[in-house]
Formats: sequence, structure tokens, C-alpha cells
Amino acid sequence: MQLIREIAFLLHKEWTLELRQKYALGGILLYVLSTVYVVYISFVKIDPDHWNTLFWIIILFASVNAVTRSFTQEHSSRQLYYYTLANPIAVLLAKILYNFLLLVFLSLLTLGAYSLVAGYPIRQLTPFIWAIALGSLGFSIALTFVSAIASKASNASTLMAILSLPLLIPILATVIRLAKTGFIPRAGVEVPIKGDLYILAGIDMLLLGAALILFSFLWRE
Amino acid sequence: MIKKHFWKALAVLILLYTFIAGLLVPLKPGIVEMDPRTVQSGRNISFKVKGYNTHYMNSDIRAWLKMDEDHVLAASPILIQNDRDLKLIFGIPPFLPTTDKTQNFTLIIDSPVDGVHLLPNAVFVSQDSVNLALASLQWPPERITDLHEKAGITFPFRNILAETIRNIYFHVPMWFAMILLFLGAVIYSGRFLWKKNMQDDQRAASMIRTGVLFGILGLLTGAVWAKNTWGAYWSGDIKQNMTAICLLIYLAYFVLRQAYEDPDHRARVSAVYALFAFFAMIPLLFVIPRLTDSLHPGNGGNPALGGEDLDNTMRLVFYPAVFGWFLMGLWIAQLNFRIERLRERRLEEE
Repeated sequence: MQLIREIAFLLHKEWTLELRQKYALGGILLYVLSTVYVVYISFVKIDPDHWNTLFWIIILFASVNAVTRSFTQEHSSRQLYYYTLANPIAVLLAKILYNFLLLVFLSLLTLGAYSLVAGYPIRQLTPFIWAIALGSLGFSIALTFVSAIASKASNASTLMAILSLPLLIPILATVIRLAKTGFIPRAGVEVPIKGDLYILAGIDMLLLGAALILFSFLWRE
Repeated sequence: MIKKHFWKALAVLILLYTFIAGLLVPLKPGIVEMDPRTVQSGRNISFKVKGYNTHYMNSDIRAWLKMDEDHVLAASPILIQNDRDLKLIFGIPPFLPTTDKTQNFTLIIDSPVDGVHLLPNAVFVSQDSVNLALASLQWPPERITDLHEKAGITFPFRNILAETIRNIYFHVPMWFAMILLFLGAVIYSGRFLWKKNMQDDQRAASMIRTGVLFGILGLLTGAVWAKNTWGAYWSGDIKQNMTAICLLIYLAYFVLRQAYEDPDHRARVSAVYALFAFFAMIPLLFVIPRLTDSLHPGNGGNPALGGEDLDNTMRLVFYPAVFGWFLMGLWIAQLNFRIERLRERRLEEE
């Protein structure tokens, strides 16, 4: 109970912080919109396979950019202060949850903007929404944890990209395959998406478990 | 002294055995090619056959084209040109005992010296029209009997693999060694986080370094093998891709180590990353490759390792090879660890 109260409070803190530094969120929104536009300008007409791949690549880099700052935006001594006030696990979980919500919001926004300019080839929204939800969760867990690992280095953002991109590929590959089933017409054969959903959920749980266990070794300075 | 180092001698001995037996034991006799591969029914056709490791001269050779147990054609006459080349003449009846327009046949050759060897799907015979009644009259009641067994120690002959089958003693053990070394690194990383002993951190780093070396060697031996059997060094096979990603994850480990100056901090962060990366690698290595088609044996309808591809003679070399390469990996990791420690000691003295 205590943990949930702490997480709720820390979530509120993250949101307040976001509102104070509007330029960070604005920067990412602008990044998403300009990438979508660059893709549109260079392709004009996109077939569904490329549409899908490009969509997830935009999401991938937007996510890396969005989550990098989660452990670097505040000074490390203040970070330490949080750990003494609250359970460190609560700090991590709050950041994961906050980033998850942020990534879902970013994905939906990208989906809207992308569909507006590059066409809307999706026939079934259900697998696509599942892909966004479980994919964002996996991205958020892996990226938040890697951000904690990389935060103390001098060039955290480069390190972040090097460390996280290979780790995200299993999630990305499964998400792209799952999302592809969304292009099959609704009237067509029933698409088996359960297998991919279980794999994604499995990867997410595995990463979450590893992150929760390992974080207790990481936060102490 | 001897007790402490015997495993290194064991590694060298096992690998010597692997190299000698793996490279010198001959392949079983086999058939490389048959020409022509597609013919029309109802003719006498002369086929050129090329053998491999065969001794056809002065031996009593028999040859058959086999459709199934009950439908077999014997070659006559058989002209022996040299130890490796045969000319076989088959009289193929106008109608085939099948309802298909085209039927494939297996070529079987038997000789007292080489034993029986065969070429699956050696020739495709097509017929203009189907007539089962006529076919049953035209086909001779021939049976394959009294086949010879080849004695001696040999590896199996597989048509596309041929001599490259020996690569199994080098390519596959690299993966076993790599996975085991990464597992060792996980254990040492965990122990470092538990006991905060700097030596454990260095041991983990050495094991990952050696594991990456074995991974690269595995990719290289695999690429050479793929060029000879699949036709290209890199075919974008799922296992090739996953391995490349896996190596990227562990190369990032070294970038991470370079990024932190303070040894204590570096050790803790890299131990945490090594553990996290190993968890992230589990779906990469064990789940996703099983769900996707692959050119590797055991995937996408290809037969798994085992059966006739890994016979008992090969097992006698393959299992020691896995063990020997793993011991060698441990030894390399240990040497690397000691070099790193000496380097550190020298830095402290300066």
C-alpha cells in the first residue's frame, strides 16, 4: 500500500517536472512531427509493409530520445535524496510507469500524424493497439533501466543509444510482426495474434523482473 | 602443479584429437552427380555418374533406380571408366507405375569394396500419359538384394555438405563455448554484486571478452560453411541476425566499461548491465529463432541435427570437441584475466 502511495506521489512529481521543463516534451513532439513529415516527403506513397516498419522506427528513436533524460534531468544528489525519502523500487517503478504513459501518448500521436499525411492502411486496430501497449511497456522498462545505467557517464546520451538499441531489437521484431497482422482485412481469416502477445508479455515481464532485482544494486552511490 | 593444470593439458589433447580425427577420417563413398537429371520414359538412356571416395575399378558393381520397394530398375550394362566414373544404361519402360506425370527416382549403387551408396532424387522421369495397367506389365519384378556394408571408420557423405560436414566440429562447439562463457560471466557478475570483490568483475569481463571472440569465430566458420552450402556468406538467416545482435549487446558492454573512470563504479554498473543483457538475450537466442523459419538444421522443415547427419562415428568426435573448445575458452579467459591483473599492478607501481 505504502509502495502504491509512493508511486502515485512520484508520478505526480514527474508530471510537475515535465510541466516546468516544457521544452523537453515540446522537443520530442517536434521531433516526431518532423520525422513523420520527412518520411512523407521522401515516400509520398507508402505500401503497408514500409508504412509499418517506418512507423516503428520513428517510435523507436522517439522513445530513446524521450526516456534518456529520465535519470539525467535531475542532479544525482537530489536523486539520492529521493531514495532516502521513498523506496528506491518505487522511484524506478514510477519512472517506468511515467515513461510508459509518455510512450503510449507519443505512439498514438505519431499514429495520428502519420495516418494524416502518409495514409491509413490499418484494417484491424486491435492487434495494432496491443502492439503499441505492450511495445511501449517493453521499451519503457528497458530504456528506463538503461538510462539508470548510463546516467552517471560523461556522455550519457551516446551511451544510451549504444546500450539500448540492441536490447530493444527482440521487442521491436515481435512488435513489427504483431502489427503486420493489423493490415489483413477484417473480413479475412481470423489472425492468430495470441502467440505474439504472449511473447511480448513474456519479454516485458522478464525485463521488469530483471530491472527490479538489479536496481537495488544500482542506485547506491 | 600437475593437478592444478591438468585441465589445460586435457584441453590441448582433446583439441588435437578433434583436429586429427575430424580432418583425417575419410568420408563414406557417395555419389556427387548424375547426368542427365530429367529424362523421358520409354527409352534406353545412358547416364554419367560421378562417385566420391569410390573404388569402381575391378569391382563387381550393381546399380538400380528405385521408385519404391516394389518398383526398381536394374542398370545393364554398367561401363566402368575409372575409380570415380561410371556409365549406367537404364531401359525405362514407356509407362510408370504412378498416376503422376513426373516421378523421381533414387540411384543406388552397390559394390563389394565401397558398400552401398545412393543419391536421393537422382533423376526425374516424365511420361506422356498415365496407364497403370500397362505399367504393371512393363515393369520387371526386380528386387534389391544382398547389399554390401562398408567396413571401417568413416563420416557420412551428405550430398550438399560433402567434406564441409567436418565443420560441425568447429562451428557448433563455438556456440556452446560462447553460451557457457556468457553464463560464467553472469555467475561472476552476480558474485561481484554479492561480495564486492574486484577480481570477480575482472573475471566476468575476461569471460565476456572470450565469449565475444568465440561468437565472432562462430560467425566466421558459419559464414564459410554457408557460402559452400547455402550459396552466400550472409543469407540473413534468423540465427545469423540474432547472433549479430547478441554480439552488439556484448560489444556495448565494453563501451560501457570505457565510459566510467572510477573502477568501483565501473565494476558495479557493468555487472548490472551484464546481468540485464543476459536476461534480454534469452528471448533473442532461445525463443525468437524457434518461431521463425531458418536455413539451419532443425528449423523450417529441415531435419534436426542427429539421425543420419550425426552418426556414431561423428559423435565420437563431436562431443569431445564441444568439451575441448569450452576448456580452451576457459583457459583463454583465465589468461586474459591474469594479463589484465598484471597490467593493473604495473599501473599501481608507477
